[in-house]
This record gives sequence, structure tokens and C-alpha cells, in this order.
Amino acid sequence: MSADGAHDGPQPSSTTHGHGGSDGLSARVAVDLGTFALDVTLHVGAGEVVALLGPNGAGKTTLLRSLAGLAPLRSGRVAVAGHTLDDTAAGTRRAPEDRGVSMVFQDHLLFPHLDAVDNVAFGLRAHGMPARQAHEHALAWLARVGLADLARSRPHQLSGGQAQRVALARALAYEPDLLLMDEPLSALDVEARLAIRRELRGHLDAFTGPSIVITHDPVEAIALATRLVILEDGHIVQDGSIDDVTQRPRSVWIAGLVGLNLYRGHADGTTVRLPSDQQLVTATAARGDVFAAVHPTAVALYRDRPDGTPRNVWTGTIDGLDVHGDRVRVHVAAPLPIVAEVTPAAVAALDLGVGGDVHVSVKATEVSIYPA
Amino acid sequence: MTDLKQRSGRSPDASWEPLVPRRSRVGLHTVMGWLGALAVALLVLPLAGLLVNTPWVRLGELVGDATVRSALRLSLLTSIAALAVSTVLGVPLAWLLARREFPGKTLLRALCVLPMVLPPVVGGVALLLAFGRRGLIGQPLDALTGITLPFTTAGVVLAETFVAMPFLIVTVEAGLRSMDRRYEDVAATLGASRWLTFRRVTLPLLGPSLGAGMALCWARALGEFGATITFAGNLSGRTQTMPLAVYLQLERDVDSAILLSLILLAVSAVVLVALRGRYLGVG
Repeated sequence: MSADGAHDGPQPSSTTHGHGGSDGLSARVAVDLGTFALDVTLHVGAGEVVALLGPNGAGKTTLLRSLAGLAPLRSGRVAVAGHTLDDTAAGTRRAPEDRGVSMVFQDHLLFPHLDAVDNVAFGLRAHGMPARQAHEHALAWLARVGLADLARSRPHQLSGGQAQRVALARALAYEPDLLLMDEPLSALDVEARLAIRRELRGHLDAFTGPSIVITHDPVEAIALATRLVILEDGHIVQDGSIDDVTQRPRSVWIAGLVGLNLYRGHADGTTVRLPSDQQLVTATAARGDVFAAVHPTAVALYRDRPDGTPRNVWTGTIDGLDVHGDRVRVHVAAPLPIVAEVTPAAVAALDLGVGGDVHVSVKATEVSIYPA
Repeated sequence: MTDLKQRSGRSPDASWEPLVPRRSRVGLHTVMGWLGALAVALLVLPLAGLLVNTPWVRLGELVGDATVRSALRLSLLTSIAALAVSTVLGVPLAWLLARREFPGKTLLRALCVLPMVLPPVVGGVALLLAFGRRGLIGQPLDALTGITLPFTTAGVVLAETFVAMPFLIVTVEAGLRSMDRRYEDVAATLGASRWLTFRRVTLPLLGPSLGAGMALCWARALGEFGATITFAGNLSGRTQTMPLAVYLQLERDVDSAILLSLILLAVSAVVLVALRGRYLGVG
């Protein structure tokens, strides 16, 4: 039983969700991770879907495991649907099985000794639902994920996509208060991923509790979530809407992910001084610490030094070319490194190759500035 | 040197050629083949000898022999009892060794599997010193309850358990270690208590390892000789198990010794096949 004895938890037999009228997830989580510490404050509203992004080793999985009660907190407080699950100050700690927090893993982790319907029924049985009722409930859930005819299949007989659908049904069937997903689609092949992404979006829309999904794919994040949270080195570096994060990234990592050049410097009027003793000229005046973002398509490359209106011009050496659809990304190494996106025709015309020197030019109006 | 150079020049992957020219390529396969065949002969010929000398015509009569029957009955009884004790106590110990961290764990594990490599007769002596009438535990046990273990059927079970349980512990611990613990995590996030998770997830996933451990443990208990004869003696009907009867009957009636040996051989073969199935089978 739970420490405070007040857990009315998910009641699988009831038709309503156990989190009616509550305010979703509210968490402050601090965990020691050896070389660095995870320290995160996060609120996710009921019905809201948050995508958690960040480089490998940032602490994303640890954060989810902490919320699920699978990894202990050093300090912090976690509340879901009005229940306090963890409160290190008060000495409260609910065991994973008493939290009503479901988790979906990258590899489906279906119990290999149980067939699909028994896998889905597992959580219902664990919550005390009679076998017959749990079986029927689980069959209904399998129908919802389109697998009614595979109820008696063992996990090894299912394709990756089918298995992940069953895993999702298993996680949702007992009506948890919080749904956590750790890269639920990344083990699937491209076709299955697209299909399940669409379905998952539907299931998340129907789910009334808060959900968090870890992903490394910005497209997936945008498709599934309404809010993006970026975790780096155990800290949230950005927490905002899709537009906010993709257009005004607040870290080099996320800028790279969404394909922007990002610099951080000190603005004084229309000049931004960068740490490398470089400077960028901008169209809008600002003051103080700022981010300066430049879209790769706004970067012009020249063989000979361009002349004309005042703009940002510098020279560098090409250290990489990669093709993105019908565009080519040119990585230019310089005191101010930058990525330019040009047409294959331009690459040919300018004879751009790795090791070649180029002049880089960025119009002042193409540098967007926002406070750091 | 010129020879080597020429050879290297021809070879597409010259850098892989050893700098010292090989004197002879002949030999390795031949030597391995002959020695391997010798090993097979050493292992298989005795079994063939057993089969060749089996008094097939007397089988019916021998199976009815009182000594044979009582040894067979006692062996089954004690080995199954030893297997039961080993499972009930060994699985929790394996779980502790695999899942919990505590000081002295490495030493404890070493002590617990020591009987696997200990000469069984030494085990018998150790059991006598511990559980004998004047033993460390035997004396107070006798004084308090009047129970004495040496030279009893219970003593046979104790000796067999002492020798056989480590095989189960080692196998089950390895199984627990190789298990993906996230299955248990999933069960917990689905609301399963630790007991329910152990029963419905851990044990079923452990099935193959547990089966293999139990088969090994039972086979070892069934064949136990040294510790049993040292600790429990060789009393017909009470402590004379099949291996002991084989040893004794060799002096009296070779045919019944051969029959008992054949039964033990058959059991071993069945256990081996069962283990092979577990290791090579699906899942």
C-alpha cells in the first residue's frame, strides 16, 4: 500500500479516469548521475503531450524512470493527478506499482510467456480486476489498436509495429494517471513508424492524463506533442511551444536539430559581439546577452569577396558537404563556423569542395536576435 | 628471404603474411583429429563396455532383486527430496546473489559454490564434523530434539543437497543476471506488486534456467557417492542409494551392479537430452 494510504489510484472497473479535475503532473526531480546531476522542474497539464528532446546522456530516460518510481530521487517532489508520489522532504515515496504511472519502452518489452491479450490484461489483473472482465477489457483494447485478431499471438509472432501497438494498449488499458514513453517509435522500420505515429497521436488525444514522450526526431516531436522540452546535461535549456523552439532555439544542440545556425553573444545596438572576438551586424538593435540565429538558406557563399552594402562577410574553409533533399548543406569552418544551404547547381557553379576557401555573407536583416 | 618476398608479392593481403616462413602446414588437422578420436574412445568405450556386458536375459529377474529395488526406491526418494530442498532454499539464495548488494557477497558466493569443486568425500567429513553426534550443530541438535542425522535417510538427503544445490544456485543466478530487468520494471508500472511480479514475470522468464538448474541438481544428487557414504554410511534400505549399491554389488553380484549402472546411465542421458533441449530450443 501507499505511504499515505490515500491512493485511490486507477480503478479499471470504473468508466471514469482517476484524474478528473486535477492538474496533471507537477515535478521537481533531482538525481545524481555520477558525472553530473539531473535537476528538472516540469509541469505537464492533464491531456497535454510534452516531447522531451536532448542529446544522448542528457538524463531523459533517468527523468522518466524517476517519475515512474523506478529510480530514486536525491531530492524533489512529484505529484500526479493530485496525489503526491514523491516528496523527499516529507519522506513520502510511493512504490512504482502504487503510482498509476505507465511507461512504454523503445523495445516493446511484452512479456514473452504471455499472449497479446494476457499482456494487455496484465495491468488490469494487477489492479484487481476479475480475470474474465480483464480479458474482455483487454480484447476491447486490442481492437482499439487494430489487433483484435492477434489476441492469442505470442510476442515473438508479432511484427515490431504490432508488438508496440500491444505495448501501448497494455500501458493505457488500466487507465494510468500519467503516460511516459521512451522513444516508442525508434525501434520500428520507417513504414511502421509513420503508421503508428499517426495512431499514437489519436490515442494521445483520447488520453486525458498528462503524457511525456522522449524522442530524438524533431518531426516526431512536432507530430505528437504540443510542447517541446529540451534537456541537456541534466537541465532544461528550453521549454516552449513548437514555434518557439524551432524558430528561437536556446542551445546550439537544438539549433542543429532544427537546422539553424545559432550564436550567443552580447548585443550593443546593432552589433552582437561573440566570444570568439567576432561580431555580427543586425538590423534590429538590442542590448545585453542575446542569441543570434541565422537560417542556412540565408547564408550566401562566394568564391571572390563580395562587395556592396554593409553586411557580415568572412572567409572560411569548407569542411563538409551533405545532401538534404534537393539542397546541399555546406559546412564552413571559420572563426565563426556556419552552415549554408545552397542548390546543387550553386555547388557546381562555385566548384565547392571540401577543403576549398569561400567567402561567407549574411545580410544584417537575416540575423534574428532574441534575449539569451 | 627471397622465397618469402616472392610469396608476399603474390599474396593480395601481403601485410597479413607472417614474417617467419612456416616450415610445415601439415599436422594441425591430423594431430587434432587423432587426439580427438582418442578422447572420444576414452569417453565412449567404457559406456559401450557397460552395454556390451549387460546381462539382458537376467534383466527381469534383477529388477525384482530386493537390493536393487530398495536402492532404486531410496535413490529416487532422497534425490527428489534433495532437489526440493535445493530449489526451495537455492532459488532465494540465487536471487539474493543476483539482485542484492551486500558486503562480503563475493566471499559468500565462493563459499556457497565451493562444494561443486570440493572432493565429495571431504564434504562428507565436513558434514560429519558439523552434523555428527559430537558435531558443531549435531550435538546441540541431538541434545535439544533428539534428532541425529548421520547414518539416516535424512542424512543422505543432507549430503546430496550439500553437493548438488550449488549447481542449481549457479545456474539460476546466471539466469537471473542475464534476464532483462526492465520486464520487472514494466510489471511494476502496470501496478504489479513485487510478489506478483516475481510469480508472474520473474519466475516464468527464469523457467529455462530454473529447469536446467533443477535437472543438473537432480542428476548430481542422484549420482552422489562420496559425501553420502562418508556421512550416511552404506545401510541397505536406509542409506544405500544406487551409486553405493553399485559399489557394493560389484563384490557380490556384478550383473545387478551393471543393471544399476545402466539405470543411472539412462537417467543421465535423459537429463542431458533435456538440458540440450533447453539450451538449444526456442525461447
